[in-house]
Amino acid sequence: MTEENKLIGQIVDLYDGEVGMLIPMMQDLQAECGYLPADHLRCLSRHLKVPLSRLYAVVTFYSSFRLSPKGAHEVTLCLGTVCYLKGAGSISEAIIREFRVEPGGTTRDRLFSFNAVNCVGACAVAPVMLVDGKYYHGVTPESAIEVLYGLSADKIAAEKEGSA
Amino acid sequence: MRKGKPVPTVTIDGCKVEVENGETILDAAKKAGVWIPTLCYHPAVSSDASCRICMVELDRGDWRQLVTACNYPVRRDIVVYVSSEGAQQARRGVMELLLARAPESQELKALAERMGVKETHYPKVTESQRNCILCGLCVQVCEEIIGQAAIGYAGRGVDRTVAAPFRQPSEDCIGCGACAAICPVGTIKVRIHEDEQEVEISPFKSRAKLLICEECGAPIISMQVSEQALGKVEVNCEEFRERVRLCPKCRRSQTAGRLKAAKFCKKES
Amino acid sequence: MTVLGNAKLRSAADLKHMQEELRARHTPSAKCVRVCTGPGCAAKGSPRLYELFCEAVERTGADVEIEAKSVGCHGLCECGPIVLIQPGNIFYQKVEEPDVAEIFRETILGDRVVEKLLYENPATGQKAVTPEEITFYKVQKRIALAGNGLIDPTNIGDYIAEGGYIALAKVLSSMTPEEVISEVEAAGLRGRGGGGFPTARKWRSCREADGSPKYVICNGDEGDPGAFMDRAIMEGNPHAVIEGMIIGAYAIGSEQGYIYVRNEYPLSVERLKLAIEQARELGVLGEKILGSSFSFDIRINRGGGAFVCGESTALMASLEGRPGEPRAKYIHTVESGLHGRPTNLNNVETWANVPAIVNHGGEWFSSIGTEKSKGTKVFCLVGKVVNTGLVEVPMGITLRRIVEEIGGGIAGGKRFKAVQTGGPSGGCIPAEHLDARVDFDELTKLGSMMGSGGMIVMDEDTCMVRVAKYFTNFLQKESCGKCTPCREGLSQMLYILERVTKGEGEVGDVEELEGLADLLGGTALCALGKTAANPIVSTIRYFRDEYDAHIKEKRCPAKECRGLFRYEIDSEACTACGICLKNCPADAITGEKKVPHVINQEKCTLCGMCWEKCPFTAVLKV
Repeated sequence: MTEENKLIGQIVDLYDGEVGMLIPMMQDLQAECGYLPADHLRCLSRHLKVPLSRLYAVVTFYSSFRLSPKGAHEVTLCLGTVCYLKGAGSISEAIIREFRVEPGGTTRDRLFSFNAVNCVGACAVAPVMLVDGKYYHGVTPESAIEVLYGLSADKIAAEKEGSA
Repeated sequence: MRKGKPVPTVTIDGCKVEVENGETILDAAKKAGVWIPTLCYHPAVSSDASCRICMVELDRGDWRQLVTACNYPVRRDIVVYVSSEGAQQARRGVMELLLARAPESQELKALAERMGVKETHYPKVTESQRNCILCGLCVQVCEEIIGQAAIGYAGRGVDRTVAAPFRQPSEDCIGCGACAAICPVGTIKVRIHEDEQEVEISPFKSRAKLLICEECGAPIISMQVSEQALGKVEVNCEEFRERVRLCPKCRRSQTAGRLKAAKFCKKES
Repeated sequence: MTVLGNAKLRSAADLKHMQEELRARHTPSAKCVRVCTGPGCAAKGSPRLYELFCEAVERTGADVEIEAKSVGCHGLCECGPIVLIQPGNIFYQKVEEPDVAEIFRETILGDRVVEKLLYENPATGQKAVTPEEITFYKVQKRIALAGNGLIDPTNIGDYIAEGGYIALAKVLSSMTPEEVISEVEAAGLRGRGGGGFPTARKWRSCREADGSPKYVICNGDEGDPGAFMDRAIMEGNPHAVIEGMIIGAYAIGSEQGYIYVRNEYPLSVERLKLAIEQARELGVLGEKILGSSFSFDIRINRGGGAFVCGESTALMASLEGRPGEPRAKYIHTVESGLHGRPTNLNNVETWANVPAIVNHGGEWFSSIGTEKSKGTKVFCLVGKVVNTGLVEVPMGITLRRIVEEIGGGIAGGKRFKAVQTGGPSGGCIPAEHLDARVDFDELTKLGSMMGSGGMIVMDEDTCMVRVAKYFTNFLQKESCGKCTPCREGLSQMLYILERVTKGEGEVGDVEELEGLADLLGGTALCALGKTAANPIVSTIRYFRDEYDAHIKEKRCPAKECRGLFRYEIDSEACTACGICLKNCPADAITGEKKVPHVINQEKCTLCGMCWEKCPFTAVLKV
């Protein structure tokens, strides 16, 4: 029995296979996996005998469901008018190029999710970038990349500590 | 409980017709010979009255209520106005919104013309997937009639589209083309790819292998459709199963040939 | 959490006995510290205060009878964290961690009041010791919120000591289902979720419908921005909702209930779950309730993150494992609802009123309020008022009393402009109607609606066109997208409003908006679509001049829409300090030392940095 089959089986049993409890089932699955993996959804479709297209309709309808994992860190770049005037555009391009991640997406190694938003209200210190809620101001393409590389260094350091 | 009359009367634009309890205003209109435009309604499948093009006015005494004709159940005597100013204005407004969304559909334009709507004054502010108006008929026919449920809705609000799961070619599509047949605005197309011997349902990108005529090599129908249909047929005749592997043209030639050989026709000498 | 041993209550007498026992536990002189951990106070760190008080209680000797309780939203969130001390009902506000020791020493052990923590009337300077002395509370009448701030929502014993489940016992032992419905009918209770439909009529229709099983649902999908009434009740007194549901289920003939809670309220889910567990343990929920032949149980479902699921048919679709899309209501849900069965859905606050109606009688309830709107209503008073928070007032009170007496008037000495009620389905009511009496029909006549209780106060600095745009944008994102008018119409209206607020409005835009509003109202499939244009229509009705200014003069009178007003430096107030010059990202300010600075309007990008930075408020919005 595959891992996903086991997990899905457990979740379905918890709700006695009741299709009406589909959303709680998906919430449990997402709580376990961090998102809703496609193969798990296929498995769920088989267990419940509900077409995959209906599961997909439910997943894409409700805002709380994710089909791809979120990164370990949340990076938000402000692209409001003032930040933009001060070069946020080139910062965005640099991040896209260096880490191969588009706004709204997550890096392949799931280190961080990258969001571009329209004005965080800190125009005095533009350009502004937030990492896990912490403000970085007066950011340049170089300094932004340095900060983001620092995240993976943190990760490596944390792993080292964990295994020591 | 307000179950109503067993055979209520609908007075529709002055014309009285009787319907069975639970039939819709649209059913009554058909009986009375009154035309009401429809898009998301189809007698073969269930619908949600989502397109809102069939709006009519229901007499409520001191006011008139706009309701959708295709799913309003008649349970007692009612009076309905189809050609009133209010009803026409409502339907035209909805059509104008649709034309703004899907400007290139010839079928939609034709329906608009018939309704007396020449053009829309609204700008295009939403994106549609090749003029899709989200009527949902394709989704319903695939689930209810074909039983495959290969496509469904995805997303919410203006981002709502019809798609196969994960927006990848569907694993469940059998390439029957029912969705293309039922689509009222010409969004869905069946494409034959001769070299790959595949049928594609566009824009969903789903493909299915085609059954090829053993005689002439022409594509006949999706293999899966053929197998499913055969699976439902009780005929156990070997000849029948052979015949199915020929395209209609070749089948006719073969039959004609055999008839001739059997000297079936007694011609006077 | 065990309460009184594990014995299940098997009769009304058992319950009464338990209530007496619990009450007897505390002597009149017993001390109690109640720390509010409702949403507002919790955001300011009150849970930590509760911890500190608990530690202090632990440390006191056995000779002092004292307990600390964490209670639900008391209401005056502006003054949080709030701490109440018994005996004496002493009201402390804006309590911080260092104050805990002082309160303990002075008030609890020493029976002295800590002056600096008392509420001070901003007009008279007078200090209030108890909530009754504070205008904010004096004007209120609390029925649905009666238990909030009083009981510990995580302890069913507290609820019972205060009279909880007595109404249920009365119903099960001495009333028929029809009698219960008659009592609610006499009360004149109308739905508190926004629809205002007569509750008893709904219950009766459901009771008389064919089909089984029948379902009872509590709509906890509170989604209006600025509204947290239901959250306060679910977290502050979950048993009131549960008791109400059991009574309703008995009246209707249902054995299965659901509470649908918005995904963004995990604490509400937690509190309700705990309350349900305790209720089951005690025998007031589940099989053979209080030893009677009536069985009923409740299940909690969380939403998936969709505002539209507050609509009853969308909610039911969600409970069926489908996308939350509304459906036609030509056949009502009381006839065919969840899984096609007769279903009765009511809002959290509606359910919370039921026990009080049974306890005090329908006549009592109908003696409060107006002719067609009985009882009270909970409102979330937020926005530009001095006192923001949760209030419950009798129907018929004027808007003026709510905004000025309870709300304390507009903050910062600004002028009142409008109050928005009913959330995205509602409208804005201007100053000329402040004396309107708050009731279902009055508010609808004024172009708004009661809604679920959100009341957002706006002042002279609020651009009403921008308000309309905000709500339209919200609805466009939350629309399910099924029907043409809502999905396409909202996008068309938003497009126009964006043009108008950017200075690209055209003559005819207002008429276009009105035309679209009519179309949506008549042809949309559900209430979300049908009422979607209300914010636009009501702002056009009362603030047409603002729309005209935006469109014809490309000017925003409230000076909120960027680009539609200018910044200028007041040469008399300017001290030439140079801060604005240094901070201007477009280098649009010129000026030397001792010379009033000037903004070059051509270079200015209207970012507002100078206005924010100037320490002498010499930059004006013009």
